[in-house]
Amino acid sequence: MFAVLLAAPAFAAAADTAETVRFITCPIYRDTDAGKKSGCWLADDRAGGRRFDVSRAPSKPDWNFEILVEGRIAADVASHCGGLVLEPVRSSVLPTPCPRHMLPAEGFAGNKFTLPPRNVRPLSEVRKAPEPPFADRTFHLVFDFDKAFIVYQLDDYLLDQAITWIRGVNPTRVVVTGWAATDPAEVSGRTIAEDPAIARTRAELVGEALRRLGVPDEKLELRWKTSAQPVAAEGADGLAEPSRRRVDIEVKL
Amino acid sequence: MIRAAPLVLAAAALAALTSALAAPASRPERWWAPGEGRVFPAELDYENETGTLRTMLVGGPMKTKGHPFFAPIGPNGRACVTCHQPADSMSLSAQTAQERWTATNGRDPLFAAGDGSNCPTLPQATRASHSLLLDHGLIRIQRSWPPKDLTGKAITPDFTIETVRDPWGCNTGAKYGPAAASPNVSVYRRPRPISNLKYLLAVGFAYDPKQGMPLPLDPESGRPMSGNLMADGRAGTLNAQMRDAASTHLEFLKNMSARDMARIVYFESRLFSAQIRDRRGGALDAGGAEGGPDKLARSQPGNLGSQGPAPVWSEFAAWEKPDPSLTPEQSAFRQSVARGARSFREKMFLISDSAGINSPIGFGNPVRNSCVFCHNMTQMGNDVAPGQVDLGTTTQPFADPAPHLPLFRITCRRDPHPHYGRVIYTSDPGYALTTGRCADVGKITLQSMRGLAARAPYFSNGSAKDLRAVVDYYDRRYRIGYTEQEKQDLVNLMSAL
Ligand code: HEC
Ligand code: HEC
Repeated sequence: MFAVLLAAPAFAAAADTAETVRFITCPIYRDTDAGKKSGCWLADDRAGGRRFDVSRAPSKPDWNFEILVEGRIAADVASHCGGLVLEPVRSSVLPTPCPRHMLPAEGFAGNKFTLPPRNVRPLSEVRKAPEPPFADRTFHLVFDFDKAFIVYQLDDYLLDQAITWIRGVNPTRVVVTGWAATDPAEVSGRTIAEDPAIARTRAELVGEALRRLGVPDEKLELRWKTSAQPVAAEGADGLAEPSRRRVDIEVKL
Repeated sequence: MIRAAPLVLAAAALAALTSALAAPASRPERWWAPGEGRVFPAELDYENETGTLRTMLVGGPMKTKGHPFFAPIGPNGRACVTCHQPADSMSLSAQTAQERWTATNGRDPLFAAGDGSNCPTLPQATRASHSLLLDHGLIRIQRSWPPKDLTGKAITPDFTIETVRDPWGCNTGAKYGPAAASPNVSVYRRPRPISNLKYLLAVGFAYDPKQGMPLPLDPESGRPMSGNLMADGRAGTLNAQMRDAASTHLEFLKNMSARDMARIVYFESRLFSAQIRDRRGGALDAGGAEGGPDKLARSQPGNLGSQGPAPVWSEFAAWEKPDPSLTPEQSAFRQSVARGARSFREKMFLISDSAGINSPIGFGNPVRNSCVFCHNMTQMGNDVAPGQVDLGTTTQPFADPAPHLPLFRITCRRDPHPHYGRVIYTSDPGYALTTGRCADVGKITLQSMRGLAARAPYFSNGSAKDLRAVVDYYDRRYRIGYTEQEKQDLVNLMSAL
């Protein structure tokens, strides 16, 4: 609750100008080639008729399934794929099947791969230890819709930050709370809501992850809750909806 | 395939001043029999179809007499060395198995009924009962079902497994198969090479991005495990692997002593193998190239080629520049290898429906990348992250027809498999036999890529009879559209590793 109150102003500031979108559709793969991982992901919003470039999503679509798209229109960013660029953007793979659709490059260059800023460094690179004064601190991991998978180059990075902090401050307790966004929402003419059970699955997953990273069992406390509300979570990049689908790691001194 | 002796001599002469002429004068016997007591030299060279493989034992020669890797410690007369032979890059080629069959009339302990025959219930004296080992280089691996986790607790699988086809009777009946009184699943796999192991054991990152979790910890040492051993990842450490091997391949039921295990680990950790000489190209560590095992012994393992210090197969980068002093044949070979190395890294294609890559990690399905996307560790070509990926080698519709192998029907009980749906047909569920998860069906741990020339056939089920067949499989699987030249370049590269 505390976190929510603190967060609210940050949200308002980031979101006030650009339009955010949320819709469900079948993804389209555009076969551009500017080297590794350079293909394009497009998503047509059926209601508005607009085509979006969702290539910047940390977890990308699967051409066999529908996706839930959540993002903010980056009007001043030119697309190399053909479509309005969403950034930040999240795409969650849904279980409903889609016909595969692949477009040729049609002159679009695609996105040349660059290492995302959120990447976990090899073990051989020494982490910078946190510096005092220390205080209680909460970390958030953010998940795709109805998923409990620690997303590569997003959540693993955030988890690495959390464990570096935990190792540095040697807390008395680490409270892991899994949340599920169970309040129904209307998206693309459908009512969607997360499975309440995913809250517990998320908590247990992150609990096991922290255990493997050396947090002793007796310091760990797992909780799970439904009806999640938005918070300011680094991993959500200011997008409200993804920030509901999260795990809080509260590090108590 | 067979080159005239004079040609070999000519090439060698031209490669004077290289290590080509430093070959030992007398040829060591190819087959290492259990308990024979030879000294394992510091450097051991064996010929193969395209050249010479070298195995180095760092720290100098070792007496093998009484050594637990070489001694027949079980009742069946076998030792570890039976299936991990120096001439075969510490694996076992199908050709070697055939030679043993011929030399011993099928009586070598290699053909022990337990796992050196298609099924122990078959008449053991006939060749047909050992056809999987002789024709495909395969050893029977019997996994108990359901699997247990690292702490020994039974896992509740999220799928059911039934036998659809059972050509040898080891997956049906009262004793064998998933419906037996104590359920088990028999699959057939190639022995994996046991040199260069520091690369397979290297832990580059704390996370397994494919499973979305930090690496699991070894219950014995509390340390994270690399996840790069065994086709199905069932053993996370050399100790765990040894217990598995001793109780199955060697029918040695008592636990191995800690001292024996330590001796084996010490031996394995000093072994490095790689091709050192090519019949057409000459020395593989000449002209600025860095082939051969010496570099492997000296280098730090666990580096992602894309993050430096050196890209994968940059060992052969110096050969990109033509050298006018070479014979046309030598020059053509060197440049082909150098092109192959580049193509391995740079030739892009669409990778699709391969769990571990296209799901759930978030790369997208499909994703454009090259061979090095999966084979990404510098100098070894295995995966820096735990390498459980479904290439389709064992699973329909991507697997080549294999009437000689059993076929299982997997039915996912909860979520369907991300690419195959709810019902899957496979001859080896791979990693799923260890995790009990239907999302892992068909995932096979990437092998190391050194010493390939000495250990055909390839892939864990031996489905690629030679290196050309490996490239052809990828060309079909991902519709790459290689030219004839590109295929040949990749084959030459891989034969030089
Ligand atoms: C009957 C043949 C046979 C014998 C004997 C045998 N192995 Fe193996 N070994 C195999 C096979 C087959 C595999 C691959 C198994 C799999 O992938 O499921 C393997 C895999 C391995 C691996 C894993 C290598 C990797 O890259 O994953 C190691 C290490 C190993 N064996 C060591 C040993 C040791 C030590 C012994 C003696 C105690 C031994 N083996 C005896 C057939 C054998
Ligand atoms: C999507 C990941 C992926 C890509 C891309 C990939 N591989 Fe593999 N590779 C694997 C896996 C997984 C295995 C193990 C499969 C098995 O044994 O059934 C493997 C095995 C191999 C082996 C067999 C090694 C042995 O010991 O039997 C060779 C050789 C090989 N790959 C070469 C290549 C080449 C050449 C390319 C590019 C054309 C390539 N790979 C691209 C995942 C990949």
